[in-house]
Amino acid sequence: MKLLKRILWRLLASVGVLWGAATLTFVTINITGGDTALAILGGPDALPTAAALARVRAEYGLDQPLIVQYGHYIGRLAHGDLGESYRLRIPVTQAISQQIGATIELALCAGVIGIALSVLLAILTAGRTRWMQSLSSGTELVLSSMPSFVLGILLLLAFSFHWHWFPVFDATGWRGMALPALTLALPIVAVLTQVLRQELEDILEQPFIVTARARGMSDMAVRLRHALRHAMIPIVTLSGFIFASLLGGAVVVETLFVRQGIGSLMVDAATNKDVPVVLGITLLAALIYTAVNIAVDILYGLIDPRMRVA
Amino acid sequence: MFSFIASSVIPWPAGLFSVRSGFRRGSACGWRRAGALAAALAALALTGCSGKANSEPVAQGTQAAPADKYTHPATDYAEQGKGIPGGTLRVAVASDTGSLDLHAISHTNAQWIGRILYDNLVYLDAKGDISPWLATSWTISPDGKTYVFHLRHDVTFSDGAKFNAEAVKINLEHMRDPATRSPLAAAYIAPYVDGKVIDDYTFEAHLREPYAPFLNVLAQSWLAMESPKAILDHPKTLGDHPVGSGPFVLQSYTRQRGMVFVKRKDYHWAPEQVHHLGPAYLDRIEISFVAEPMIRYNALIAGQYDLTTDAPPQDAAAIRANPELAFDSRVRTGVPYRGIVFNTSKAPFDDVRVRKAVALSVDRVGIVQMIGFGEYQPKTDFLAANTKYYDPSFRNALKYDPAEANKLLDEAGWTGRDAEGYRTRDGKRLSMEVLTSTSYANTPVLAAIQSDTKKVGVDLTITRLPPTEYTQRRNDDAYQALGGGVWHTNTPDALYILYDSHEITSAKRIGQNSSRLRDAQLDDLLGRARQSTDPAVLRDLYSKAQQRLTELVPGIPLYDNYSSIAYHRYVKGLVFDTSHNTVYFPSLWLQKGAP
Repeated sequence: MKLLKRILWRLLASVGVLWGAATLTFVTINITGGDTALAILGGPDALPTAAALARVRAEYGLDQPLIVQYGHYIGRLAHGDLGESYRLRIPVTQAISQQIGATIELALCAGVIGIALSVLLAILTAGRTRWMQSLSSGTELVLSSMPSFVLGILLLLAFSFHWHWFPVFDATGWRGMALPALTLALPIVAVLTQVLRQELEDILEQPFIVTARARGMSDMAVRLRHALRHAMIPIVTLSGFIFASLLGGAVVVETLFVRQGIGSLMVDAATNKDVPVVLGITLLAALIYTAVNIAVDILYGLIDPRMRVA
Repeated sequence: MFSFIASSVIPWPAGLFSVRSGFRRGSACGWRRAGALAAALAALALTGCSGKANSEPVAQGTQAAPADKYTHPATDYAEQGKGIPGGTLRVAVASDTGSLDLHAISHTNAQWIGRILYDNLVYLDAKGDISPWLATSWTISPDGKTYVFHLRHDVTFSDGAKFNAEAVKINLEHMRDPATRSPLAAAYIAPYVDGKVIDDYTFEAHLREPYAPFLNVLAQSWLAMESPKAILDHPKTLGDHPVGSGPFVLQSYTRQRGMVFVKRKDYHWAPEQVHHLGPAYLDRIEISFVAEPMIRYNALIAGQYDLTTDAPPQDAAAIRANPELAFDSRVRTGVPYRGIVFNTSKAPFDDVRVRKAVALSVDRVGIVQMIGFGEYQPKTDFLAANTKYYDPSFRNALKYDPAEANKLLDEAGWTGRDAEGYRTRDGKRLSMEVLTSTSYANTPVLAAIQSDTKKVGVDLTITRLPPTEYTQRRNDDAYQALGGGVWHTNTPDALYILYDSHEITSAKRIGQNSSRLRDAQLDDLLGRARQSTDPAVLRDLYSKAQQRLTELVPGIPLYDNYSSIAYHRYVKGLVFDTSHNTVYFPSLWLQKGAP
């Protein structure tokens, strides 16, 4: 019951968060000034006729006072209507749903690769000899401080342009997925492995591990069966970070690897001042974050029985 | 229409992902600096062998040599021999137009996309004169206000709709319908009042006033003929589901990723000028949007693409040196790229001596090498050299001459110097603010101009604004100067669009005369040119207009604006479009043994 109540509260709070995000983006876009109707009609380098300008102003309610526009905007949002893209001339919900599948696919691949690799590396390197640790953490440091743009280009130069193992772009099949997923996964691996290893090393010092060893368990079995479960908690805690890097990284990776998806849609919308699409994706991101946070809350309880009491 | 070198820069959401975008900008600067060095080297190499570039055996004769020619031979515009049908051409392109309803966009890529999907009423010949296409002939009334078009009888759209007089009427209506939100086509046919279907294949267009460029604009892809059935049935989704009568049909269009076109087998009404009337050779064209120039280049070399448009000039030397590849950069018709557009209605640029002095102070050769890596030609007059009625007589009028610049500034009374070495008059520094939009990649050009003007004592500051704010300030006449601008069109009427006083933005309408130039003499020349169809008269009027512009100096022309492609040599049959000098895909074919 307590859990249910907490979830309800969190849901209510997330509506607040979404409203805040919607309002903030609305304000930001409107204080930068400029004529939206002109932006819709091709910006500074176009020759829209007066009739077209008038039509656009009326159609988007741009001739109304800001507060009225804000009211309309929030009202439409409440009905799930994100408006129409200026540039693509289709509803924003349609623009996003055309692209989101590809991003989810990429993010899932990258997420699975990222977590699997981190767990593997952490288990193999925790509490090991100094040189192995420094090699591992050195690599992690380089990877985590490298922008994914550079990482992606390096991977492309090596595996696509030099060795021809993977194409830059492949409409179907795993070969087109390998490099972008890796570009997205490696920075996550770099951070997660560090945290996991630290955690594992702490846990391996705990009395219950000593007990397990005393029972005659092998070192690997101790690591896998006892230590790992405890070490999973930071992964859950870091899931916000993981989602953020997957979503933020998608912007770079999709542009670099000629992939469709939310990231490249965002880049395109932002460069072309396609405000409704930018707003739509911002709200989507806010929605995903709140959902992840609620999920994390619930997961804590499931993984760590100590959390249920609290 | 407009495109700056933005294509060579990854589109980036400014400020949204601050850490990464900060890095990216940093890296771009690094590349530019590295690029400047490479440019210097490339320039050395090129000046050393500019004669040789011509004598090299070139497989097809279409590989325009770098920066040594203003015009292109007539053989570039018509098929030179039969090709082999079949195959798929894989193309990398820098950006997505967002919509394939060409009436509703102003994107530069519409120029060549139009030739794949659509046909136009007329086409230009290699000399820039009007020639038949879907209209076999036409007559213009003596008052220049009535055009009668006789149309082909055998043309169909890919949805089965017939091309006829009614189709032309529906298309012109669709272009100017405010619901289409046309950023360009509507303005190009602004004098069009209404049309009359005389019979199935005769269409009469009525204009408000004589408008000689009418036929020229009708040859441009933004004014292509779309299926009347599609326009009436699904006007809202024409961008995703375009229907034309062109040599290819859209098979799929995935935004942000690419589009696939397949050949239309029954096509046989290409423009006669191209010398290839039947169906296209290629079975398919697969286009991918590859924003990053470095990836377009490397993927081309790695054989993942057969051809790339928006070929990066920084890679031109490497591509030209590669025996398997070819690089072609050619001047787009219209006006050259202007580094700075002066607001002639505001101090200090209301004084023509100051405008001219600033223009004379700019050393274009260095700037053009930095930007074009030896591929671009410096430009000092106001019309692209391959535009009809270009007159080369005035091309040295604004040549780099700092001594003359200093003299003019002295004459204008800016004789004092302040502590920093800038000129002053009555204690006021000679300074100017140049606005540019964050969506243009022209800051390096402006910075180079800035260092040149400093040498003659002019203090130039660069202000970068978000695109909407930039547009607003431009339209509110709240600027001293703007950074950059081009206009691609297939007629010298480009000069009217950019410099006639009727084209100054007002509360009533948007115009492209950002110099806010008001010159009675120039207005008279350009206005009369719109009313005449006599080549001798036009040559005279446009020549005088070009001369007048070098006297008025409404901006600083820097270099011709180029369209560049790179391709594997097994891609044959290169023909270029006469309207914009872009590649004409339907004539391309693949040599046997191509991957």
